[in-house]
Amino acid sequence: MKYINNPDRMQIEIIKRTYLVSSLPIAYSLISGEFETLLGFVFGLVISTLILRLRVINIERSLDMEEEKAETFIRNRYFIEYAIYLVVLVVARTNPSLNFLAAAVGLFMMKFTVIMWVIFDMAKGGLKNKLQEYKDLKEDKSEKGGN
Amino acid sequence: MVEFAPEVIDTIIRASALLGAGFAMIAGIGPGIGQGYAAGKAVESVARDPEARGNIITTMLLGQAVAESTGIYSLVIAIVLIFTI
Amino acid sequence: MIEFSPGTIEMIIRSVSVIAAGLALIAGVGPGIGMGYAAGKATSGVRRQPEARGAIVTTMLLGQIISGSTGIYSLVIAIYLVFA
Repeated sequence: MKYINNPDRMQIEIIKRTYLVSSLPIAYSLISGEFETLLGFVFGLVISTLILRLRVINIERSLDMEEEKAETFIRNRYFIEYAIYLVVLVVARTNPSLNFLAAAVGLFMMKFTVIMWVIFDMAKGGLKNKLQEYKDLKEDKSEKGGN
Repeated sequence: MVEFAPEVIDTIIRASALLGAGFAMIAGIGPGIGQGYAAGKAVESVARDPEARGNIITTMLLGQAVAESTGIYSLVIAIVLIFTI
Repeated sequence: MIEFSPGTIEMIIRSVSVIAAGLALIAGVGPGIGMGYAAGKATSGVRRQPEARGAIVTTMLLGQIISGSTGIYSLVIAIYLVFA
């Protein structure tokens, strides 16, 4: 997570990684010919991308408000978001050319990507630390051997 | 003595299972509040000590991912109640 | 011996699933409360340290991405119950 200070760059990074991860299920459904699954998944993915943009805009607006006002503002915006999710899922359920469960999984894809990203980052950091410790240990030993 | 026909018993069991699935999903309130609370505290500590933001964000996300599990338990129970009974 | 006609059985199942869907939708309140709390903390943080604004926006965005999903679980169950 290099771009923590820069929200614009961070959004692009999140979207890029989400699409990279979700290219696997898309490729699988293309190969196996399940076009309802493919359409539902892409539908959920597009909606989750748009919701990400909406959230960033709402957060930027709420930062300049008073504390209690910002609280009610974000709460009301979340309920609007919830209504959007409701409409999206109802459309996915009633439309026969969209798979309902695939649309739901498409909505969850961004969250899954963020969690996997953090876990990989932590694993990488831990591995680096272990290598550094090992190197230090080796240097200590060689110094002792030299003496 | 009141006796129920087998279809009536089946109907009652199926209806109770569906109602139970609805009740099970109320558990989703808990993780939502908890994750939001964690995000609030993380934001507070980023404002207090901007140098440590990488560690704070990692810790926040991992804690939220763990807190999520109760919501997933209730989802699993609801799915089991709907599809198997 | 009590017996139901098929129409009665249909009606009972249908009405109970609609009630259960309504109960499941209550779970959407939780993320709203949590996100509101986070937003209040974020505004006071920006007031205290304006140069950390970018980091605060990123932290809140990541927190919202994770915490919004419990509401979607309950929505999925509710819609499945209504349109079964």
